[in-house]
Amino acid sequence: MSRFLNLPLRRKIIIIYMVANMMIFIVNTLLIMGINSMSVEMELVYQDNRSLNKLFEALTDVQDNMTEYLSSKTTDSLEDYYRSAQTLQNLAEEMKGQISDLSFSRMRRNIHNMTGGYLEEVSQTVEAKRGRNVEKYRSHYENATELYKFISSYITSLNNAQFVSNTENYTMLSNNYRVFGALCFLVMALVMIGNVIIIISIISTIISPMNELAESANKVAEGNFDTTLPMALYNDEIGIVISAFNKMVISIKEYIERLRESMDKERELQEKELMMEAHLKDAQLKYLQAQINPHFLFNTLNAGAQLSMMEGAERTYEYVQTVADFFRYNVQNQKSEVTLKEEVTLVDNYIQILNVRFSGDIHYSKQVDQRLLTTPMPSMILQPIVENAVNHGIREMGDQGKIKLKVFREDKDVCISIEDNGKGISAEDIDKILNGNWRHKEDQYDNNGIGMDNVISRLRLFAGKTDVLDIRSEGRDKGCEVIIRLPLE
Amino acid sequence: MDTEKYVENNNKIRRSSLLLRITFFFIVIIIILSIVIFNFFMKDFRKSSEFKVYDKYFVMITNNYKLDLWQSIYRGAFGAAKEENIYVDLLGKDFYENYSCEDLMKIAIASKVDGIIVSANESEEMTELIQDATAKGIPVVTLYGDNTKSDRLSFVGVGSYNIGREYGRQIFDIIKGKRREDFIESETMEERETMQISVLVNKDSSDSGQNIIISALQETLSQENATNSEFNITIVPIDNKNAFSVEESIRDIFISERVPDVIVCLNEQNTICAYQAVVDFNKVGEVDILGYYDSESIVNAIDRKVVYATISIDTEQMGKYCIDALSDYYTYGNTNQYYTADIKLINKSNVAKYLEKGEKEHE
Repeated sequence: MSRFLNLPLRRKIIIIYMVANMMIFIVNTLLIMGINSMSVEMELVYQDNRSLNKLFEALTDVQDNMTEYLSSKTTDSLEDYYRSAQTLQNLAEEMKGQISDLSFSRMRRNIHNMTGGYLEEVSQTVEAKRGRNVEKYRSHYENATELYKFISSYITSLNNAQFVSNTENYTMLSNNYRVFGALCFLVMALVMIGNVIIIISIISTIISPMNELAESANKVAEGNFDTTLPMALYNDEIGIVISAFNKMVISIKEYIERLRESMDKERELQEKELMMEAHLKDAQLKYLQAQINPHFLFNTLNAGAQLSMMEGAERTYEYVQTVADFFRYNVQNQKSEVTLKEEVTLVDNYIQILNVRFSGDIHYSKQVDQRLLTTPMPSMILQPIVENAVNHGIREMGDQGKIKLKVFREDKDVCISIEDNGKGISAEDIDKILNGNWRHKEDQYDNNGIGMDNVISRLRLFAGKTDVLDIRSEGRDKGCEVIIRLPLE
Repeated sequence: MDTEKYVENNNKIRRSSLLLRITFFFIVIIIILSIVIFNFFMKDFRKSSEFKVYDKYFVMITNNYKLDLWQSIYRGAFGAAKEENIYVDLLGKDFYENYSCEDLMKIAIASKVDGIIVSANESEEMTELIQDATAKGIPVVTLYGDNTKSDRLSFVGVGSYNIGREYGRQIFDIIKGKRREDFIESETMEERETMQISVLVNKDSSDSGQNIIISALQETLSQENATNSEFNITIVPIDNKNAFSVEESIRDIFISERVPDVIVCLNEQNTICAYQAVVDFNKVGEVDILGYYDSESIVNAIDRKVVYATISIDTEQMGKYCIDALSDYYTYGNTNQYYTADIKLINKSNVAKYLEKGEKEHE
């Protein structure tokens, strides 16, 4: 059975068709054979009557020919007589019956014997006639005629009796025929029902996997990749389609998984960019908040610079110009990314301003590798760090405070170090600052409003790593160093 | 989940394959069954041609094969013959025409049968036919009626003398009854009436049997001390040449002036006709019939007291004797010249037994 189900679809259908047809064919053949054998029987029913009639005809022929010969003595009638006598002889031979329970058989025996006697009597009559023995042929003729009558009567009786019995047989046969007809109808109907059942069940074994396939294909189409996959039960075309479908569903699932992963990554990148932008905006906003109409301020400062120029106060002019440059950088620089050189220049300006403010208290020195000045980096990074170093490190040290800016290359990183010799920072505070938990006091006035947390997070976003900024302090009054490590291109 | 589904699918397949197999075998069984049924029907139809074959073929020839007597004898002969693998035909019943004994003899001779049992008479034609048969090597046994002049092998008959004596005794019984009545009713001997006894004999035959019966009857009556004045025997010839003449002849007796007191019938047909005539002429009780043979209607008539008594012949024995004679001939070349079958008298004293027997046979 399973071997049959594993056959290709085309062969399966052909086999079903052949088997169903074969059964119908066998049944039909049997029916035709049955009908044939019955019609043979029917033909034979009245066979006996026919042969009796023939015998009777032959007998009458003999009698007639003999009478004819006796009355006219023509050669023709003699020939006819011989011919008919031969026919009668042959037919009588066929009649030979037996002594049995069957009355027909006994009657046939008697008819056979009587016919023999009759023929003898007739031949003697003809002989006597030819020998012109009138006396003798008369008496033989009478005997023959008497026998003829007896035989005729016997044949008629047998014929009638046989007809009655044959009619009974015929009735029985035709009843059988009817029964056979009903039986045939029943058998045909049953075989047909059986065929239908066989075809339906085979077709359903073929079709049901297809239905399952359609069902799960619909589910997959609705987006449910976790649906139960249909089983390929046998290796016909449908089985092949089902296993191909299963493979396809599995590979689609895998593909979607991969796609999702890459989309996740992209989204992460986008998020990062957005956050950086947001932080910059935040820094700028805060800076702008800290300003009162900067253009007015620049113009004012420019006016101050021109005034000091005219008065010949060269140092004042330089100072005012530096202040103006410092603030212009802050206000004008809307770019999120600048070069290291710009940042370093800003720090220079800032220190110069502070030194004018605090009359040259801060000892500022720098050690810069000029080749690295083109390195890109986020804006507004170094100045806030230097500001912190001044405010929290060396403010109260008078003219002892030192700030050192170093730009150098270490391995594949560009390192920017801002070092002071001020109060230093405790390890806890360093942790707090690096983790973004540092709360600076609200009342701080003397800064441009950009906190360390902002600086750190922007640096981290830019570099894509957390260890971009490091703070080192060896303890109280031992100074502090902030090192920024930017990747080299 | 998957394995569950797999199992379910497997079950589905197993179920449908089982269904397929069952259906397929079902169809095959139906086809085989229909072939068997068909063959059974046809076999049943063909079976009718089975038969047994016999060694020898005898025929029994009687003037009227329909009579109960002949049928009964034939049954006896048939049973006896079958045991010896011989078939006996009651010739005549196969024909639509009614042939006389003589014609049937001719047919039998022409049919070259192995033996003929014929109820013969003493006519010359019969003698010739028997001689003809014997000349052709066919043994002939005469049954019931003899043909003494011929070379018939054997005669099987009833003891006519015994029958005559039985009739005589019965008539004497009737006479005794009458004597008693007369003694009471009449004063003188002269007033007593002579009892009229009519014996119906067949006109055609010079049958010796009939004569023997009548003489035995007379002899018995005289032995029983009946005086001549007490009875008068008349022999009434009945014309039996024609199919209906017997009945007419018997009716004639009743139309005549003096209706006999006792009618003695010497064959079955006469008995039945006489019985019917007595009933029709309303002579029941006045006329006593002494019947012949114990057919059902005759036995019933005894029960109704229309027939006084009848003679029962052991027909089976008669039939058997016929076959014995013929097979003895084939075995030993010769046999007894005479066979006599037993007879019994049935009258109202023992009729009940015969009625029972008749009923049983009917069943």
